[in-house]
Amino acid sequence: MSNGYEQRAVWLLPIRIWHWALVVSVVAGWLLGYYRDFSIMQWHFYAGYFTGGLLVIRLLLGLFGPASLRFSALGFNWLQLKSYVSRFLSRSPSGVPGHNPLGSLSVIAMLLALSVQVITGLFSEDDALFFEGPLASSVSSTIRLQLISIHHIAASVILWLVGLHIAAILFYLIWKKENLITAMITGIKLVKKDK
Amino acid sequence: MNSIVRKVVLAVSLSGVVFALVPQVHAADDDPIGKAIKARRAGFQLYSFYAGHLFGMAKGEIEYDAELASTMANNLNDVVNLNNGSMWPAGSDNTQRKGKTRAKPNIWSADSKIGEKSKTLKTAVADVAGVAGNGLDGLREKMGAVGKGCKGCHDEYRAKDF
Repeated sequence: MSNGYEQRAVWLLPIRIWHWALVVSVVAGWLLGYYRDFSIMQWHFYAGYFTGGLLVIRLLLGLFGPASLRFSALGFNWLQLKSYVSRFLSRSPSGVPGHNPLGSLSVIAMLLALSVQVITGLFSEDDALFFEGPLASSVSSTIRLQLISIHHIAASVILWLVGLHIAAILFYLIWKKENLITAMITGIKLVKKDK
Repeated sequence: MNSIVRKVVLAVSLSGVVFALVPQVHAADDDPIGKAIKARRAGFQLYSFYAGHLFGMAKGEIEYDAELASTMANNLNDVVNLNNGSMWPAGSDNTQRKGKTRAKPNIWSADSKIGEKSKTLKTAVADVAGVAGNGLDGLREKMGAVGKGCKGCHDEYRAKDF
């Protein structure tokens, strides 16, 4: 490997398990929702509860967890973002011991979109399959319709964000010669020695 | 009572009745499209009430009762087979009656598949009506198709919001 880089353990085991659990539950929840049917709708709900549980865990880790998982570690300023974007196309690994500034932005967007999705889902109903979220009856039907609309829009937003995430990972792998997939499996990531 | 007083009382009463009726008659002729929209939405409330019971039993949220299931399924079968074409006049879509209906204009377009979708629902409901009273397993098996039948129109022909 090129000079100035080293392999370093970056991602802790809990967050790696968390990440892949989220992959499974989001993919399952999305597909079960998109292809919803009377026989599988209950599983869409389970996937939603599971995703919600993971988001609560992430919130707690972000507030009280180890330093590398704190939300403060996602913190970036516009200057850093600008300077990172300006050298984004360079064919060298980012070498950041965590998320790069663009990655932070993506993480924040995904966490927000998934939170919106889980919360609106709790209040949604499907009046063709006669399923409703556990909190649906606590709001008026007008509000419920608005929340369902948001739930459907957020599903598309999540699809695009996940697509962008995968595209970015492939871009790093092929263009920047940085394998972020094994990093999220083993926890070991290519990092610049001085970082 | 002399005849003049009687005539006056009669005249006042009659005119009272006429004045009482005028606004009613007026209302009936006022907005036939609005009435049609109200009527069809009332129809869907019936669908929802009957199907809600059947889905509730199929999901185990309402205890299965053969007689009730059979009644609900037969009622649903009756209401989905009513010919309610006159409740869907031109000009009653959600672009022309904002806030009153979620019926999209493509219901009335030349290539509308609304008739097919309606047939799919009717077939599914007839299937349920045939088995609803014979046990929970049969009901559970057949309700999936009813859900698909409802969804067929909701997805393509009903706006998400008013």
